[in-house]
Amino acid sequence: MNALGEILMILGSCFALLAAIGIHRFPDVYSRMHAAAKSPTLGLVLVALGAGVRIWTLAATTTLVLVVVLQLLTAPVATNVTARAVHLTTRVPLDGDDELARDEAAGRSVGVPDPDED
Amino acid sequence: MNSLALAITITAGVLFILRLIRGPSLADRAISVDAFVSTLVIGVTIASARPDSGIIEGTVLVVALGGFVGTAILARFIERRGS
Repeated sequence: MNALGEILMILGSCFALLAAIGIHRFPDVYSRMHAAAKSPTLGLVLVALGAGVRIWTLAATTTLVLVVVLQLLTAPVATNVTARAVHLTTRVPLDGDDELARDEAAGRSVGVPDPDED
Repeated sequence: MNSLALAITITAGVLFILRLIRGPSLADRAISVDAFVSTLVIGVTIASARPDSGIIEGTVLVVALGGFVGTAILARFIERRGS
């Protein structure tokens, strides 16, 4: 049981290290964001699982489950807000339409899917 | 063995701080702060699993929530200031 917790924690910290390597090796802001947003979240899930297995009391496990749920809810929101700010303020080459500008020019509320899109 | 996980996490944190210092744009710095806080949460979780550390799990919760609020405010700041 103890060894299982240790292995899970080492795996999770390896995901954090992967994110750190990715943030140094990717060429532009969006791909760095891709590396920095997802893999620490998965790493935290694994580490919390390992810590919960290792501590194995009800109070600690409840708190760790709460941490994981909150992180899974807030990490995409934080990344979305940052990506929006980056998109609005920097000139990163796009490989398609600027959909945010198109939607705002059409006066639609941003983020709501368009009913007559296709 | 717990020390190995902690060492890997600290290495990741140092790499994020290097990107924070070097990062060409403000957005890169915001991203690396966000990822660094995630790594901090991972590190505190690993430390709290040690029986002799005395860190309670509530600390992890506070750090995670503070990190989210910090990132949201930083994004607002970038949007208002530009570049």
